[in-house]
Amino acid sequence: MIKVTVIILVISGSLFAQTDWNKWSGQQVSYEITIHQIHDYSIDNSNIGMTLLSITRNLYYFFISDLDGDNCAFNPSCSSFFIQAVKETSIFKGTLIFADRFTRDINFFKGMNNYPLLPSNKYFDPAYNYTLNSQKIKF
Amino acid sequence: MVFLFTFFSAQISFAQQDSDSTNYFSPNNRLKFGSYLYKDKDYLRAAEEFKEYLKFSYDDTVQFKLANSFLKIGRYTEASDNFKTLFLGSSLSEESRLMFFESNFFLNDYNFFRTLTEKEIYLTEKYSREVDRLNSITYLFDNAKLPDENLLLKPFSDSAKSQISAFFLEKKFPKYRSVTTAVLLSTVIPGAGKIYTGEIGDGITAFVATALSVYLSYNNFKNDHQFRGWLFAGLTAFFYGGNIYGSAASAQIYSARIRFNFESEVKLYFEQRNYFLPRIDY
Repeated sequence: MIKVTVIILVISGSLFAQTDWNKWSGQQVSYEITIHQIHDYSIDNSNIGMTLLSITRNLYYFFISDLDGDNCAFNPSCSSFFIQAVKETSIFKGTLIFADRFTRDINFFKGMNNYPLLPSNKYFDPAYNYTLNSQKIKF
Repeated sequence: MVFLFTFFSAQISFAQQDSDSTNYFSPNNRLKFGSYLYKDKDYLRAAEEFKEYLKFSYDDTVQFKLANSFLKIGRYTEASDNFKTLFLGSSLSEESRLMFFESNFFLNDYNFFRTLTEKEIYLTEKYSREVDRLNSITYLFDNAKLPDENLLLKPFSDSAKSQISAFFLEKKFPKYRSVTTAVLLSTVIPGAGKIYTGEIGDGITAFVATALSVYLSYNNFKNDHQFRGWLFAGLTAFFYGGNIYGSAASAQIYSARIRFNFESEVKLYFEQRNYFLPRIDY
C-alpha cells in the first residue's frame, strides 16, 4: 500500500508540476507601434457632400493614416478636424479652417503655442473654436 | 432564589419598551431635526424640514433659515422669494433684504440686479454699502457700460481699491487683438496677422509655406510646366487664404482668452473674499 501511494505521489508530481518553460521560451516580438486612436469609418449620410467627404476620409484612413500611424500633433487629428470644420460651417469655410490648421500642423516651432495639452500628449484644438463665432469659443 | 427573582423582575421592570409614543413628525421635532441638518450643512434636507414646520407655525428665524438653505444650495429664485417674505414685520428684515440682493446677484442676471437696486423699496439702510459693492461688482462681470471709476470704487475699502481699480482699467481697456488688423496684416504679408496675435511660429511657417508655393508656381510656369504651375498656384491659394482666415480666428481666440482669464481672475478674487459680504449671526 505504501509503495502504491509513493508511486502515485511521484507520478502525479511529475505529471502536474508547474513548468517554467512557457516563461523562458522564445516569444514573438512585435515592433509595431500600437495605434491608440481608433478611426471612425462611419459614413455621414446627412447630405451628398458629407457622404463624399466621409468616403474620401475613409480612403485616407485606410490607405495612409492606418499604415502611417497616429502622427498628428493635434486632437482631433487634421482629417477629423476637416470633417468637423465642414460640419460646423460649409465646405468653403471648412476648407479655409483646414488650410489654417494644416499650416499650424507643419509649424517648425512646435511648443510655442497656447493649446491645452491632453494626457495623450496631443494639443486639444477643436474646430468649433475657428468658426469666427466668439460665442462658440471654449477653453 | 431571592437573587434570581430580583434579577428577572428587574429585567421586566427596566426593559426598553417598543411602544414609544413619540411623534417624530411633530412640528417641534421637525424643527429640531431641521436645525440639526442645517448645522450639519445638509441644507437640502433642512429646507424640507423647515418647510414642513412652517406649515404649522410661523417663525421668522425658521423662514430666514429656509431661505438661506435655498441660497446655499443654489436655488436662488426660491431663496429670493423666501427672503422677500421677511421684508416687513420681522427682526431680520434688514438681513433679509441684504440676502435678497445676494440671491439675485448669484442669479447672474446683472442687468436685473442693477434694476433692483434702483427700486428703493427693496433697499436696506443697514447694509446699503454691501449692496452698493455688489452693484459695482456686476459691472466687472458683464458687458454693461462701465460707470465712472470713482463711482465704482466708492463702496470699497481703501485696501481693496487698488486691485479693483486694476480690474476696472483692464475691463475698460482690454488688450484685445483686432480681427480687422490681423486680416489686413496677413493680406499684405502672409503670416503677419498671426505674429500680431502672438503666434510667431505659426506666422513664420505660414509666410515660408506661401512664399515657397509662390516660387514653385512661378518657376514651373516659367519653365512651361503648366500642370505643376497650376498645382502650386492652387497650393498658394490654399496657404494664403487659410492664413488670412486663420489670422482672423486667431485674433478672436486671443481676445476670448484675454476675456476668459480676466473673468476667472475677477471671480476668484471676489469669491475668496466672499464678495465683501458680512457674516450674519441670527
